[in-house]
Amino acid sequence: MTDKEIVKGEEVTLEIKPGMNILEVNKQLAQKNKELLQKHNVKAIDIMGSIGAGKTSLIEQLVQALKQKYRIAVFKGDLTTTIDAERIGRHGVKVVTINTGLECHLDANVVARAVERISLQDIDLLIIENVGNLICPAEFPLGTEKRVVVVSVTEGPYMVLKHPFTFMTADVMVVNKKDLAEIMKIDTNQLAKQAKDIKPDMKFAITNALTGEGIEDLIKALEL
Amino acid sequence: MHELAMATQLVENVLEEAKRYEAKKVAEVHLTIGKLTFLGIEQMRFSYDILTKDTIMKDSKLIITEQDGVIECQSCGYKGKVPIEDDPAYHVPVPTLRCPKCGEAARIVEGKECTITSIRVLKQQECKDDCKRCC
Ligand SMILES: Nc1nc2c(ncn2[C@@H]2O[C@H](COP(=O)(O)OP(=O)(O)OP(=O)(O)O)[C@@H](O)[C@H]2O)c(=O)[nH]1
Ligand SMILES: [Mg+2]
Ligand SMILES: [Zn+2]
Repeated sequence: MTDKEIVKGEEVTLEIKPGMNILEVNKQLAQKNKELLQKHNVKAIDIMGSIGAGKTSLIEQLVQALKQKYRIAVFKGDLTTTIDAERIGRHGVKVVTINTGLECHLDANVVARAVERISLQDIDLLIIENVGNLICPAEFPLGTEKRVVVVSVTEGPYMVLKHPFTFMTADVMVVNKKDLAEIMKIDTNQLAKQAKDIKPDMKFAITNALTGEGIEDLIKALEL
Repeated sequence: MHELAMATQLVENVLEEAKRYEAKKVAEVHLTIGKLTFLGIEQMRFSYDILTKDTIMKDSKLIITEQDGVIECQSCGYKGKVPIEDDPAYHVPVPTLRCPKCGEAARIVEGKECTITSIRVLKQQECKDDCKRCC
């Protein structure tokens, strides 16, 4: 749409009003992913959290607890290695590594490419481990039904307060490394309450991903 | 942190628009960035300058307007700025999605955008039949 033309010698300046939202591109692709997954009755979960928060350990526990009930596939976003993919693969589920190179997050487009590499007819549950980063992944919905944010007590008491906008994008919060809470002098309930103050409909699980403690709560929170 | 990727998309889109209108040069780009995005304005400018260097967008002005976050409550219909509450333990201000009217969970309706609102380009004037200057 051309708004106005101003004559200036032999040149004119044109004002173009594209009204184009660059972030909307990802959102639309995410919506497509969502529709495709729903069409095949696949439940999908995106797990985000800082480096080392325990995302892979939690996925291992989830897979262990749920593989009788669901046919599971896992996508693993990793900068360069396949270490996590191998850890998860040991539990006998299909794993697709999405190497993101230098990107700090997964986006709906790379997830769509990964979906092409699996057969949706053969799975009921898709778990996606996002790149270890508490900020960027929050900007890019992937088209999953639920989004989980993992915070471990070793990250200190301020993670929620420092990243409110990340928590706003999540449906379920996991407070992990419960076993270290006392040593770290962290009140896990306080972390959960802070997140609930930011996102009133947030669901919670307080876990120890090494032993599997709290995994049942996580499964309940995810409605699986 | 992903400003370079976003700026790349911005520049591609602007160049495409400019081409569609047969522009010779891009003078100004107006961008609205929502305050609920994770895009830094300075990083955006930095990437923009690098990416436009060898294009018709070189030396163009990037004018950025920030958009406040707006929430809407589906329970009571409230619509307004993202409320800020005081954290009881640490006494720091924290934004919340809690509806200030009824306390239910509201959703974000504005503040997550990165929108090219307008582009000012220079183009050769089209010749009119009675043009004496150039034909
Ligand atoms: N003590 C304790 N250690 C844990 C717990 N969960 C995970 N860990 C350990 O923390 C380290 C990191 O766990 P990962 O599961 O690899 O974390 P991640 O979030 O997948 O890490 P990246 O993929 O590298 O971002 C490992 O050494 C785990 O064994 C827990 O609940 N308690
Ligand atoms: Mg991992
Ligand atoms: Zn309300």
